[in-house]
Amino acid sequence: MNTWRHALTAFGVLLVTHALTVWTLPRVIMWRVMSVASAETNPAGTFLPPPTDHTARRIVMPSPDLLYATCSLSLRDGPIRVSFDGHYPRYWSIALYAANSDNFFVAGDRNNADQPVRWLVSTPSQNATASSPAAERQITAPSDRVFLLMRLLVNDDPAVLAEAERARRSLRCTNTVES
Amino acid sequence: MPKGATTRLVALYAVAVLLGIASAWLWVTRIGISGVDAGQWRVNLLAGSTQADAYTRARIAIFALLALDRRETLYYTTDRDDGGASLRAECPYSIALRPPTARWWSITAYAADGFLFPNKTRRYSVSGENANVDADGWARFLIAPQSSAAGVDARITTSGAGAMRLTLRLYQPDEGLQRAPQALDPPRIKKIGRCVS
Repeated sequence: MNTWRHALTAFGVLLVTHALTVWTLPRVIMWRVMSVASAETNPAGTFLPPPTDHTARRIVMPSPDLLYATCSLSLRDGPIRVSFDGHYPRYWSIALYAANSDNFFVAGDRNNADQPVRWLVSTPSQNATASSPAAERQITAPSDRVFLLMRLLVNDDPAVLAEAERARRSLRCTNTVES
Repeated sequence: MPKGATTRLVALYAVAVLLGIASAWLWVTRIGISGVDAGQWRVNLLAGSTQADAYTRARIAIFALLALDRRETLYYTTDRDDGGASLRAECPYSIALRPPTARWWSITAYAADGFLFPNKTRRYSVSGENANVDADGWARFLIAPQSSAAGVDARITTSGAGAMRLTLRLYQPDEGLQRAPQALDPPRIKKIGRCVS
Protein backbone atom coordinates (compact mmCIF):
# COMPACT_ATOMS: atom_id res chain seq x y z
CA MET A 1 0.00 0.00 0.00
CA ASN A 2 2.82 2.30 0.98
CA THR A 3 4.63 1.46 -2.25
CA TRP A 4 1.62 2.49 -4.34
CA ARG A 5 1.29 5.71 -2.39
CA HIS A 6 4.94 6.59 -3.02
CA ALA A 7 4.68 5.61 -6.67
CA LEU A 8 1.65 7.86 -7.13
CA THR A 9 3.32 10.71 -5.29
CA ALA A 10 6.45 10.31 -7.44
CA PHE A 11 4.25 10.41 -10.56
CA GLY A 12 2.69 13.61 -9.25
CA VAL A 13 6.15 15.07 -8.69
CA LEU A 14 7.04 14.13 -12.28
CA LEU A 15 3.96 15.90 -13.65
CA VAL A 16 4.51 19.02 -11.57
CA THR A 17 8.20 19.17 -12.53
CA HIS A 18 7.26 18.71 -16.20
CA ALA A 19 4.72 21.56 -16.06
CA LEU A 20 7.06 23.80 -14.10
CA THR A 21 9.88 23.24 -16.61
CA VAL A 22 7.63 24.12 -19.57
CA TRP A 23 6.39 27.22 -17.72
CA THR A 24 9.89 28.28 -16.69
CA LEU A 25 11.74 27.81 -20.01
CA PRO A 26 10.57 30.97 -21.82
CA ARG A 27 10.99 33.05 -18.66
CA VAL A 28 14.56 31.87 -18.14
CA ILE A 29 15.42 32.50 -21.80
CA MET A 30 13.91 36.00 -21.66
CA TRP A 31 15.66 36.73 -18.37
CA ARG A 32 18.97 35.77 -19.98
CA VAL A 33 18.33 37.88 -23.09
CA MET A 34 17.33 40.90 -21.00
CA SER A 35 20.27 40.54 -18.65
CA VAL A 36 22.79 40.39 -21.49
CA ALA A 37 21.19 43.32 -23.32
CA SER A 38 20.93 45.49 -20.21
CA ALA A 39 24.63 44.94 -19.46
CA GLU A 40 25.45 46.69 -22.74
CA THR A 41 22.93 49.48 -22.50
CA ASN A 42 24.11 52.97 -23.49
CA PRO A 43 23.09 56.24 -21.74
CA ALA A 44 19.94 56.42 -23.92
CA GLY A 45 18.84 53.14 -22.33
CA THR A 46 19.24 51.26 -25.59
CA PHE A 47 21.47 48.55 -26.97
CA LEU A 48 22.41 48.88 -30.65
CA PRO A 49 23.77 45.61 -32.02
CA PRO A 50 25.81 45.66 -35.24
CA PRO A 51 24.05 44.84 -38.55
CA THR A 52 22.97 41.20 -38.57
CA ASP A 53 25.28 38.62 -40.05
CA HIS A 54 26.34 35.08 -39.21
CA THR A 55 28.23 36.28 -36.14
CA ALA A 56 24.93 37.34 -34.51
CA ARG A 57 24.38 34.39 -32.20
CA ARG A 58 22.48 35.74 -29.22
CA ILE A 59 18.93 35.23 -30.41
CA VAL A 60 17.88 32.48 -32.79
CA MET A 61 16.64 33.23 -36.29
CA PRO A 62 17.99 36.77 -36.63
CA SER A 63 16.84 38.53 -39.79
CA PRO A 64 19.67 39.85 -41.99
CA ASP A 65 17.19 42.29 -43.56
CA LEU A 66 16.64 44.18 -40.32
CA LEU A 67 18.65 46.49 -38.14
CA TYR A 68 17.73 46.11 -34.49
CA ALA A 69 17.73 48.17 -31.32
CA THR A 70 16.68 46.89 -27.92
CA CYS A 71 15.85 48.13 -24.43
CA SER A 72 15.56 46.06 -21.28
CA LEU A 73 12.90 47.80 -19.21
CA SER A 74 12.68 47.25 -15.48
CA LEU A 75 9.44 48.75 -14.23
CA ARG A 76 10.13 48.00 -10.58
CA ASP A 77 11.24 51.56 -9.86
CA GLY A 78 8.50 53.20 -11.90
CA PRO A 79 7.20 53.61 -15.46
CA ILE A 80 9.61 53.86 -18.38
CA ARG A 81 9.35 56.51 -21.04
CA VAL A 82 9.99 55.36 -24.62
CA SER A 83 10.51 57.82 -27.44
CA PHE A 84 11.54 57.67 -31.08
CA ASP A 85 11.46 60.45 -33.66
CA GLY A 86 9.53 58.27 -36.12
CA HIS A 87 11.46 59.49 -39.14
CA TYR A 88 12.37 56.45 -41.19
CA PRO A 89 10.96 56.10 -44.70
CA ARG A 90 10.92 52.28 -44.71
CA TYR A 91 9.33 49.57 -42.57
CA TRP A 92 9.96 49.91 -38.84
CA SER A 93 8.27 48.56 -35.77
CA ILE A 94 8.75 48.62 -32.02
CA ALA A 95 7.53 45.53 -30.18
CA LEU A 96 7.19 44.99 -26.45
CA TYR A 97 7.64 41.52 -24.91
CA ALA A 98 6.61 40.41 -21.46
CA ALA A 99 8.86 38.41 -19.14
CA ASN A 100 7.21 35.22 -20.42
CA SER A 101 8.17 36.15 -24.05
CA ASP A 102 4.65 37.17 -25.18
CA ASN A 103 4.54 40.03 -27.68
CA PHE A 104 1.89 42.12 -25.92
CA PHE A 105 2.25 45.29 -27.96
CA VAL A 106 3.60 46.36 -31.33
CA ALA A 107 3.38 49.57 -33.32
CA GLY A 108 5.27 50.89 -36.30
CA ASP A 109 5.22 53.10 -39.34
CA ARG A 110 1.77 51.73 -40.20
CA ASN A 111 0.38 53.40 -37.06
CA ASN A 112 2.85 56.25 -36.66
CA ALA A 113 3.86 57.28 -40.18
CA ASP A 114 6.48 59.99 -39.68
CA GLN A 115 5.01 60.78 -36.25
CA PRO A 116 7.11 60.70 -33.10
CA VAL A 117 6.60 57.80 -30.70
CA ARG A 118 5.96 58.79 -27.08
CA TRP A 119 5.00 55.94 -24.81
CA LEU A 120 4.83 55.50 -21.07
CA VAL A 121 5.16 51.84 -20.15
CA SER A 122 3.97 50.88 -16.68
CA THR A 123 2.62 47.97 -14.66
CA PRO A 124 -1.09 47.77 -13.78
CA SER A 125 -0.33 48.83 -10.20
CA GLN A 126 1.53 52.01 -11.17
CA ASN A 127 -0.51 55.17 -11.49
CA ALA A 128 1.17 56.33 -14.67
CA THR A 129 -1.70 58.48 -15.95
CA ALA A 130 -1.18 61.23 -13.40
CA SER A 131 2.44 61.83 -14.36
CA SER A 132 2.00 61.47 -18.10
CA PRO A 133 1.65 64.31 -20.62
CA ALA A 134 -1.50 64.09 -22.73
CA ALA A 135 0.45 63.33 -25.91
CA GLU A 136 1.98 60.24 -24.36
CA ARG A 137 0.45 56.85 -25.05
CA GLN A 138 -0.09 54.71 -21.94
CA ILE A 139 0.92 51.09 -22.27
CA THR A 140 0.26 48.67 -19.46
CA ALA A 141 2.73 45.80 -19.30
CA PRO A 142 1.73 42.40 -17.91
CA SER A 143 5.08 42.02 -16.11
CA ASP A 144 7.57 44.31 -14.39
CA ARG A 145 10.33 43.34 -16.79
CA VAL A 146 9.77 44.17 -20.44
CA PHE A 147 11.96 43.72 -23.49
CA LEU A 148 11.68 46.25 -26.30
CA LEU A 149 12.78 45.27 -29.80
CA MET A 150 12.93 47.80 -32.61
CA ARG A 151 13.15 46.53 -36.19
CA LEU A 152 14.18 48.69 -39.16
CA LEU A 153 14.14 47.32 -42.69
CA VAL A 154 17.52 47.81 -44.36
CA ASN A 155 19.47 46.61 -47.36
CA ASP A 156 23.06 46.79 -48.59
CA ASP A 157 22.78 50.41 -49.68
CA PRO A 158 25.10 52.43 -47.39
CA ALA A 159 22.69 55.39 -47.52
CA VAL A 160 19.83 53.20 -46.25
CA LEU A 161 22.03 51.78 -43.50
CA ALA A 162 23.12 55.26 -42.46
CA GLU A 163 19.50 56.45 -42.32
CA ALA A 164 18.49 53.39 -40.25
CA GLU A 165 21.43 53.99 -37.93
CA ARG A 166 20.39 57.60 -37.43
CA ALA A 167 16.79 56.52 -36.79
CA ARG A 168 17.63 53.89 -34.19
CA ARG A 169 19.91 56.32 -32.36
CA SER A 170 16.85 58.51 -31.76
CA LEU A 171 15.26 55.72 -29.69
CA ARG A 172 15.24 56.51 -25.96
CA CYS A 173 14.19 54.34 -23.04
CA THR A 174 14.39 56.41 -19.87
CA ASN A 175 13.29 55.90 -16.32
CA THR A 176 10.65 58.44 -15.31
CA VAL A 177 12.34 58.85 -11.94
CA GLU A 178 15.47 60.16 -13.66
CA SER A 179 13.92 62.02 -16.61
CA MET B 1 12.07 4.26 8.60
CA PRO B 2 15.11 2.10 7.82
CA LYS B 3 18.00 3.92 6.16
CA GLY B 4 17.77 1.75 3.03
CA ALA B 5 14.09 2.63 2.56
CA THR B 6 14.81 6.36 2.93
CA THR B 7 17.56 6.15 0.32
CA ARG B 8 15.21 4.36 -2.08
CA LEU B 9 12.54 7.05 -1.57
CA VAL B 10 14.99 9.88 -2.18
CA ALA B 11 16.17 8.10 -5.32
CA LEU B 12 12.57 7.60 -6.47
CA TYR B 13 11.72 11.29 -6.12
CA ALA B 14 15.01 12.37 -7.66
CA VAL B 15 14.25 10.17 -10.68
CA ALA B 16 10.73 11.66 -10.84
CA VAL B 17 12.17 15.19 -10.91
CA LEU B 18 14.74 14.28 -13.56
CA LEU B 19 12.10 12.55 -15.69
CA GLY B 20 9.84 15.58 -15.32
CA ILE B 21 12.57 17.91 -16.59
CA ALA B 22 13.70 15.51 -19.34
CA SER B 23 10.17 14.82 -20.58
CA ALA B 24 9.42 18.55 -20.71
CA TRP B 25 12.62 19.25 -22.64
CA LEU B 26 11.96 16.41 -25.09
CA TRP B 27 8.32 17.40 -25.49
CA VAL B 28 9.26 20.98 -26.25
CA THR B 29 12.27 20.33 -28.48
CA ARG B 30 11.43 17.09 -30.27
CA ILE B 31 7.80 17.70 -31.16
CA GLY B 32 7.51 20.15 -34.01
CA ILE B 33 5.70 23.43 -33.69
CA SER B 34 2.03 22.98 -34.50
CA GLY B 35 0.27 25.18 -36.98
CA VAL B 36 -1.35 25.25 -40.38
CA ASP B 37 0.37 24.12 -43.54
CA ALA B 38 0.73 25.61 -47.00
CA GLY B 39 2.47 22.89 -48.99
CA GLN B 40 5.65 21.98 -47.11
CA TRP B 41 5.56 25.26 -45.19
CA ARG B 42 4.07 25.59 -41.73
CA VAL B 43 3.01 28.70 -39.86
CA ASN B 44 2.20 28.80 -36.16
CA LEU B 45 -0.68 31.17 -35.58
CA LEU B 46 0.12 31.64 -31.91
CA ALA B 47 3.78 32.63 -32.33
CA GLY B 48 4.35 35.73 -30.23
CA SER B 49 0.70 35.79 -29.22
CA THR B 50 -0.54 36.35 -25.69
CA GLN B 51 -2.99 33.50 -26.46
CA ALA B 52 -0.19 30.94 -26.84
CA ASP B 53 -0.36 27.83 -24.68
CA ALA B 54 2.58 26.94 -22.45
CA TYR B 55 4.10 24.41 -24.87
CA THR B 56 3.87 26.77 -27.85
CA ARG B 57 5.37 29.59 -25.79
CA ALA B 58 8.28 27.37 -24.74
CA ARG B 59 8.89 26.15 -28.31
CA ILE B 60 8.78 29.67 -29.72
CA ALA B 61 11.19 30.84 -27.00
CA ILE B 62 13.67 28.16 -28.02
CA PHE B 63 13.27 28.18 -31.80
CA ALA B 64 11.94 31.62 -32.71
CA LEU B 65 12.33 33.94 -29.72
CA LEU B 66 10.86 37.43 -30.07
CA ALA B 67 8.45 36.51 -32.84
CA LEU B 68 5.78 39.04 -33.65
CA ASP B 69 2.06 38.48 -33.47
CA ARG B 70 0.54 37.24 -36.75
CA ARG B 71 -1.21 40.58 -37.41
CA GLU B 72 2.27 42.04 -37.79
CA THR B 73 4.20 39.09 -39.19
CA LEU B 74 3.57 35.55 -40.40
CA TYR B 75 6.55 33.20 -40.12
CA TYR B 76 6.36 30.18 -42.42
CA THR B 77 9.10 27.62 -41.94
CA THR B 78 10.09 24.39 -43.61
CA ASP B 79 12.84 21.82 -43.38
CA ARG B 80 11.59 19.81 -46.40
CA ASP B 81 11.76 20.17 -50.15
CA ASP B 82 8.74 19.64 -52.39
CA GLY B 83 9.46 15.92 -52.49
CA GLY B 84 9.35 15.67 -48.70
CA ALA B 85 13.12 15.12 -48.30
CA SER B 86 14.97 16.93 -45.51
CA LEU B 87 16.75 20.11 -46.59
CA ARG B 88 20.53 19.79 -46.32
CA ALA B 89 23.14 22.52 -46.13
CA GLU B 90 25.39 20.60 -48.51
CA CYS B 91 22.80 20.40 -51.31
CA PRO B 92 21.72 22.94 -53.96
CA TYR B 93 18.06 23.93 -54.30
CA SER B 94 16.04 26.06 -56.64
CA ILE B 95 13.34 28.22 -55.11
CA ALA B 96 10.38 29.62 -57.03
CA LEU B 97 7.63 31.72 -55.55
CA ARG B 98 4.97 34.17 -56.46
CA PRO B 99 5.61 37.23 -54.28
CA PRO B 100 3.14 36.96 -51.39
CA THR B 101 0.66 39.73 -50.60
CA ALA B 102 2.41 41.46 -47.74
CA ARG B 103 4.16 44.75 -47.02
CA TRP B 104 7.42 42.94 -47.59
CA TRP B 105 8.66 39.39 -47.55
CA SER B 106 11.94 37.55 -47.23
CA ILE B 107 13.26 34.00 -47.31
CA THR B 108 16.24 33.25 -45.06
CA ALA B 109 18.23 30.03 -44.64
CA TYR B 110 19.22 28.88 -41.15
CA ALA B 111 21.50 26.10 -39.99
CA ALA B 112 20.27 23.41 -37.61
CA ASP B 113 21.17 25.60 -34.62
CA GLY B 114 18.81 28.36 -35.78
CA PHE B 115 21.57 30.78 -36.82
CA LEU B 116 22.78 32.08 -40.19
CA PHE B 117 25.31 30.09 -42.17
CA PRO B 118 28.87 31.48 -42.07
CA ASN B 119 29.09 33.36 -45.31
CA LYS B 120 31.88 35.57 -46.67
CA THR B 121 29.61 37.18 -49.24
CA ARG B 122 26.78 37.92 -46.78
CA ARG B 123 24.22 36.19 -48.97
CA TYR B 124 21.78 35.16 -46.26
CA SER B 125 18.35 35.98 -47.65
CA VAL B 126 16.26 37.05 -50.61
CA SER B 127 13.50 39.58 -50.13
CA GLY B 128 10.81 41.38 -52.04
CA GLU B 129 13.26 44.26 -52.41
CA ASN B 130 15.99 42.35 -54.21
CA ALA B 131 14.22 39.40 -55.83
CA ASN B 132 14.09 39.28 -59.60
CA VAL B 133 10.50 38.64 -60.68
CA ASP B 134 10.11 37.32 -64.22
CA ALA B 135 7.40 38.17 -66.74
CA ASP B 136 5.23 35.31 -65.45
CA GLY B 137 5.27 36.76 -61.95
CA TRP B 138 7.69 34.24 -60.43
CA ALA B 139 10.73 35.06 -58.32
CA ARG B 140 13.35 32.36 -58.83
CA PHE B 141 16.70 31.90 -57.14
CA LEU B 142 19.19 29.31 -55.93
CA ILE B 143 20.28 28.26 -52.48
CA ALA B 144 23.54 26.34 -52.66
CA PRO B 145 26.75 25.61 -50.75
CA GLN B 146 29.27 28.39 -51.37
CA SER B 147 31.87 25.75 -52.24
CA SER B 148 29.71 24.24 -55.03
CA ALA B 149 29.49 25.21 -58.71
CA ALA B 150 25.92 26.44 -58.14
CA GLY B 151 27.18 28.52 -55.22
CA VAL B 152 28.59 31.11 -57.63
CA ASP B 153 25.12 32.08 -58.83
CA ALA B 154 23.25 31.32 -55.61
CA ARG B 155 21.41 34.19 -53.94
CA ILE B 156 21.74 32.39 -50.60
CA THR B 157 24.84 30.40 -49.82
CA THR B 158 25.26 27.74 -47.17
CA SER B 159 28.28 26.13 -45.60
CA GLY B 160 29.10 22.95 -43.75
CA ALA B 161 26.85 19.93 -43.61
CA GLY B 162 23.67 19.16 -41.76
CA ALA B 163 20.05 20.13 -41.58
CA MET B 164 18.78 23.40 -43.01
CA ARG B 165 15.61 25.32 -42.31
CA LEU B 166 14.05 28.06 -44.42
CA THR B 167 11.92 30.83 -43.00
CA LEU B 168 9.54 32.91 -45.07
CA ARG B 169 8.68 36.14 -43.27
CA LEU B 170 5.63 38.10 -44.32
CA TYR B 171 5.62 41.48 -42.62
CA GLN B 172 2.17 43.04 -42.44
CA PRO B 173 0.50 40.33 -44.51
CA ASP B 174 -2.82 41.24 -46.10
CA GLU B 175 -5.96 40.46 -44.14
CA GLY B 176 -6.89 37.50 -46.32
CA LEU B 177 -3.62 35.76 -45.45
CA GLN B 178 -3.94 36.66 -41.78
CA ARG B 179 -7.36 34.99 -41.71
CA ALA B 180 -6.34 31.97 -43.83
CA PRO B 181 -2.55 31.51 -43.80
CA GLN B 182 -2.97 28.12 -45.45
CA ALA B 183 -4.08 29.98 -48.59
CA LEU B 184 -0.48 31.06 -49.24
CA ASP B 185 0.82 29.95 -52.61
CA PRO B 186 3.84 28.18 -51.10
CA PRO B 187 7.37 28.73 -52.42
CA ARG B 188 8.51 25.69 -54.41
CA ILE B 189 11.74 24.00 -53.33
CA LYS B 190 13.46 21.57 -55.68
CA LYS B 191 16.79 19.87 -55.16
CA ILE B 192 19.00 20.38 -58.19
CA GLY B 193 22.31 18.74 -58.94
CA ARG B 194 24.58 16.92 -56.56
CA CYS B 195 25.31 17.61 -52.95
CA VAL B 196 28.89 18.46 -52.02
CA SER B 197 30.58 15.99 -49.75
